[in-house]
Amino acid sequence: MASKHTIATRHAQGIRARFASRFLRSLLRLRRSGNRFGGSQSNDEGIGKRIRTDRIKIAAYAAMARAVGPRRTWSRALLFKLRNRARIHGVSRKRCLVSEKKRVTRNKVVAISSREPSRADTLRKLVPGGDSMDTCVLLEETAHYIKCLATQVTVMQSIADRLLL
Amino acid sequence: MDLITGSGPELDETGLDSLQLGEDIRHLIAAPSENASSFTALLELPANQAVELLHSDSGRKQRPNLTFPSNTALLERAAIFSVFHSSNSADSSPVPSNSSSKNLEKGSAVKCEQLETESYLDSCQPLVSDPTVDNSAPNARPSSKRKEREKKVKAASKKSKSESSQQEEEKLPYVHVRARRGQATDSHSLAERARREKINQRMKLLQELVPGCNKISGTALVLDEIINHVQSLQRHVEFLSMRLAAVNPGMDFNVDSLLAAESGSLIDSNFPNMVMPLMWPEAQVNGNRHQFQQHWQFDSLQQPVWGREEDSHNFITPENSHLSYDSSANSASLHSNQLKMEGRMKLHQ
Repeated sequence: MASKHTIATRHAQGIRARFASRFLRSLLRLRRSGNRFGGSQSNDEGIGKRIRTDRIKIAAYAAMARAVGPRRTWSRALLFKLRNRARIHGVSRKRCLVSEKKRVTRNKVVAISSREPSRADTLRKLVPGGDSMDTCVLLEETAHYIKCLATQVTVMQSIADRLLL
Repeated sequence: MDLITGSGPELDETGLDSLQLGEDIRHLIAAPSENASSFTALLELPANQAVELLHSDSGRKQRPNLTFPSNTALLERAAIFSVFHSSNSADSSPVPSNSSSKNLEKGSAVKCEQLETESYLDSCQPLVSDPTVDNSAPNARPSSKRKEREKKVKAASKKSKSESSQQEEEKLPYVHVRARRGQATDSHSLAERARREKINQRMKLLQELVPGCNKISGTALVLDEIINHVQSLQRHVEFLSMRLAAVNPGMDFNVDSLLAAESGSLIDSNFPNMVMPLMWPEAQVNGNRHQFQQHWQFDSLQQPVWGREEDSHNFITPENSHLSYDSSANSASLHSNQLKMEGRMKLHQ
């Protein structure tokens, strides 16, 4: 298992393999944790399903961000957001200073724009970490983000199909 | 440059006294002369002589034997800039002499332009590696000034070819940016133009990525398409995660087999821009890979698309008519899958 992980995360494999391996492992982890907290929680099916959906979604985005690594602005922003979320949930309490700095810059950027959101602003909201990017960088990050989202979709699709079959 | 071309026809029309115009031009020149971005400021001509030069194309037989009053200053400047221009040192000496003679004939204009173009081509390299310029001032300012002057030279020489009005003989050999004729030569507009070109390049990249954007013209609509695409991809991820959540309780998948299948689909995928194929080193997985190879080559994404059409047939067909994607079948199948999932979710709930 460890050897597979190291092989899969070699750069030559491409982002798809890295994402696939990470996502599968996190799915396994989720399943195991779900089983631990009560295998048959059939009383609150709706809420449980929603929670599970969100967890899977977060796991997917986390896997993608880690597969990309800190090379891209949006992946750094995603990882940061995830770490904050983990921090709020009490997992780890490190890196308070980093979060303070980021929060200041983000607020500054948001406070300035009090007009109707232009297309670039909408795009900034969609792409993680888009607030603190100028237009030129934003377009580049969007291109990479679209590419990674497409891989994410295909991998998840194939996993879901293979699971259901 | 716009300054001169703008004022030229006006002067011709009115045919005013040169002195009177000189004062107007002095006003015009006074403002931009500070940042030395205007043409006449560059020439450092007094207003009268500038006006006379302008008028010379209106038919006066006045052969402007004007000696530039600041000839030495011009020569100095040309000499300074031609220092960098080490490769064409032979040419640089006739260059200032040409500028001093300032004949307005076509031949000289053409020669100047030729010299300028060769010197531009030759000295692109020495320009980049030259330390003297960079040491004196920050890189942006001298390079932008050079750009301005280059543009003025280009524009002026083109202009002097068409009308032998005035002559800009300052031969600045190297400039990175070439502005086209009639464009503003401000340093601000230069930076803006560079920024706009960068943005346009990236927009072209995005247009290729997003399916269906090639036909659309206009930045705003393309951006709309991009936004829609990103939103649809994010919604797709959410649907897929919902689907996986639904599957999750009842699954006992074997991670090894899944990973093998993944690698199989990776290597044989018809996803052209994604992944480089490579050898999977484990022998056991190779066996599995062969199995999945055939499976995925034929089906990779078509089987799920067409196999479950009975669920949400009515959802797919109206949407398929809207699908105008000419890119890979993946995106088309993505969207039809999304709709299938919507149908499936309804079934589940």
